[in-house]
Amino acid sequence: MMQAAGQVSGERGAWWRKKRTRELVLVTCLLLPSLAIFFLYRVLPLGWNLLLSVQYWSPLKPPRWAGLDHYEEMLLYDDVFWQSLKNTLIFIGASPFAIALALGIALLVNSDLKGAAVYRSIVFLSYPLMTVAVGIIWRWMYDERGGIINFALREIGLVAKPIPFLQSFDWALPSVIVAEIWQVLGFYMIIILTGLQSIPQHLYEAASIDGAPRLAQFWRITLPMLRPSLFLCAVVGILNSFTSFDLIYVMTNGGPGHATELLITHIYKSGFGQTKFDYAAALTVVQFILLLALTYLANRAAGGNAGSLERQ
Amino acid sequence: MISRRALLKSGAGAAAATLAAPAIAQAPKKISFLTWNIIDQEPMIRGWIARFVKDRPGVEVEWLDKKGPEIPVFYQTQLVAGTPPDVINTQGALGLEYAAQGALLDLTPRLKAEASVRNRFNADYLSNWAYEGKNYMLPFYITKTLLFYNKPMFQKAGLSDPPQSFDAIIDAAQKMTSGEASGFLTLNFDWLYWPLYAMNGVDLLSTDLTKPTFNTPKGIEVTDRLAKATEAGTINKISWTGRWVEPNGAFAAGNVGMLHAHSPAYFFVKGQGKWVTPETLGVAHAPGGFATPNSHGLGISTASKNPDLAWDFLKFVTDEGAQELGVNRKLVTGNIAVDTKNLADLEKSDPLVYSILRTQLEHTDRMVGNWRLGNDSRVKEAFWPELQNALLGRKDAKTALADAERKVARELKRG
Repeated sequence: MMQAAGQVSGERGAWWRKKRTRELVLVTCLLLPSLAIFFLYRVLPLGWNLLLSVQYWSPLKPPRWAGLDHYEEMLLYDDVFWQSLKNTLIFIGASPFAIALALGIALLVNSDLKGAAVYRSIVFLSYPLMTVAVGIIWRWMYDERGGIINFALREIGLVAKPIPFLQSFDWALPSVIVAEIWQVLGFYMIIILTGLQSIPQHLYEAASIDGAPRLAQFWRITLPMLRPSLFLCAVVGILNSFTSFDLIYVMTNGGPGHATELLITHIYKSGFGQTKFDYAAALTVVQFILLLALTYLANRAAGGNAGSLERQ
Repeated sequence: MISRRALLKSGAGAAAATLAAPAIAQAPKKISFLTWNIIDQEPMIRGWIARFVKDRPGVEVEWLDKKGPEIPVFYQTQLVAGTPPDVINTQGALGLEYAAQGALLDLTPRLKAEASVRNRFNADYLSNWAYEGKNYMLPFYITKTLLFYNKPMFQKAGLSDPPQSFDAIIDAAQKMTSGEASGFLTLNFDWLYWPLYAMNGVDLLSTDLTKPTFNTPKGIEVTDRLAKATEAGTINKISWTGRWVEPNGAFAAGNVGMLHAHSPAYFFVKGQGKWVTPETLGVAHAPGGFATPNSHGLGISTASKNPDLAWDFLKFVTDEGAQELGVNRKLVTGNIAVDTKNLADLEKSDPLVYSILRTQLEHTDRMVGNWRLGNDSRVKEAFWPELQNALLGRKDAKTALADAERKVARELKRG
C-alpha cells in the first residue's frame, strides 16, 4: 500500500520535476498580473463595446436590440464616416514620409558630422512635448493674421495674401500632418538610430573590402538590418494616425467641414457630442478591425515574425 | 419570562438604534453644483455657498467647475455612474438634450406652485428651456446675438446707420471691403448665424419640428448670396471656419466692418482691440430684431437625492446670486428685477456695455435658432457641414441644401 502511495506521489511529483513544466508555471505566474490588467482594460471593454454596437443605448434608457442598424447607417448613410476613414488613411500614408525623413536625419547624426549630438537632441526635443502644446504652437504658427509661417511666406514674396492653413479645405489636412510629423520625427529618429548602431561594423568592412559602393551598402546592409526598427516606426505611425485625437481637437476640431476629421474624432463627437454612444461603439469596432488588419499587413511586410522571441 | 435569545435581540437592537440615531441626525444633506467655465468667479461662488448653508445647518454644497468641452463628457459619465451633480449649468441647447434623455427634473410643477419664482424671469428666456411643454431649466445668465459695427469704417464708406435688412448688410459690407478689409463677420457655432436666414423668412424646420423647411428657392438664394459674398471677400471667410477666438480676434483687429455675435464677444473684442471705445464701436440689433440665444441655464438632475434642497439652491442663485453675478461680470441674468437695477447702474458707469446689454432684453420675442429639439446637436451636425460646403464654395447652394435636407430629415426621423 505504502509502495502504491509512493508511486502515486512519485507520479504526481514527476510532472513538477520536468523543467518545461516549471518554466510554464513560472511564465504563467509572471504573466498573470499583466494578463489580468489586459483582460480588464482591453478585452472586457472591447467585448462590451461590441455588444453596445448592436444595441440602441443611451445613458438613462434601457438598451434595445439594434442588430446591424448602426453598421448600415455607417456604411450607407454616414458621409462623415467615409470622409474620416479617408483622412485616417491619408494620415497613415504620411507615415512613410516621416520615417524616410527620420532615416535621413538618423544617418546624418550617426555620421561624423560635427555637432551631431546637438542636432540629435534638437530633433528629439519635439517628441516629449505634450501634444496639446504642439497643437497650440502650430495653430499659432499657421495663423492667418499673426502666424510666423504666413509672415515668412509674405516677407520672401512667395504669397501675396496670407494662406488660411487651418481654415482651408485644401490646406487643413496637410497642415495638421506636418505638425504630426514634426512631433513624431524625433521618436522615429531615435528608434532608427538605435537600429543603425546595432548593425555590426564588420558587415560594412567586408562590403568595403569587396568593393561595394556606399549606396549598395545602404541598400544591401543598412536597410535590411533596419527592418525591425522601420517596422516599429511603421506600427507607431499607424497607431498615431488612429489616436491623433488631441492634435486634431486642438488644431481644427475636425474642420473645416470635416476636412480633418479622423475616425477617432468622429467616434468622440458621435459619443460625447451627439450622445450616440451605440453608434460610436460601432465606429470603434470598425476602427479596431482596420487597425488589426493594418498591423497584420505591417507585420507581414516586416517578415512576419516581428515581436517573436529569438531562440538560441 | 423573556428568553435569552429575545433578550439578546432586544439588547442588540437598542444598541444599534443608539449608535445609529446620532449618525442619522448628523448626516449632512449634500448637493453638488456643476458650473460651466466660470472658475474665475470662485470667490463669488464660494460666497454664495457660504451664505446658502449658513441658514441651513447640516447642509453642504460641493462646487465643481468644468470647461465647456469637458462638461458633456463629465456629465454623461456621471449619469452612467448614477452620480450626476445635483445642480447643473449648461449652455445653449444642451439642457434640452439632457431633458430629452430624462436626465433633468421637470421644474414645471415647482414653477407653477411658486409663481413668484416663475415671474422673476423674462418669460421668453425662460421658455428657451421648455421641452415638450415642460420647463427644465432656469436662466442663470443670458445672451443672444446682436450686430457690432466699426464706426470709423462705416464713416469711411459713407454709411451712417446700421443696416436694416439683409440686402443692406451685403451692400454695406461691399462698400467696406477693400484690400485686407472685409465688411462682415458672423460667429457660426450653435446656430448663431441663423438670424441671417430668419431675416429672409427662411426657417430650418416646420413648426411641429418634424420636417426640414430650409430647402426653398429663398433658402438657396440666401445661401448663394452668402457664398458669393464670401468668395468676393465681402464676408470674411472666418465667419464659416473659425470658432470663437478667430472671428472675434479678426473683428478686434479693426479691419472688419460688422460683427454678428453674442454679447460676451464684446469683452474679448475690447480686450484685444485698442480701437474699441464708445465712439468707435456701434451696437445695433440685426435687421428685424432677429437674434439667436446662447444662454446659460440651471437645472436639477433627476438622480438628485435632494431635489428640494437643489431647488432651494436654484432659487437662491437666480435671485441673490444673480444680483452679484450681473454686477461682477457685467451681464444680464434673465431676472427682471436684477437686470433692471444693474442696467440702470451701468447706464451711468459704462454706457457702451449698457447699450450692448440692453439689446439682450429687447425683441426677446424674436429669438430664432432655438428649436426645442431633444437632438439639436445631431440636427446641427447634419446641417452645418453641408451649409459650410456651400458657403466655402465646395458645393453649389442647391446641391448643398438638398444634401442637408436629406440628412436633417433622416435625423428628425431617428428622433
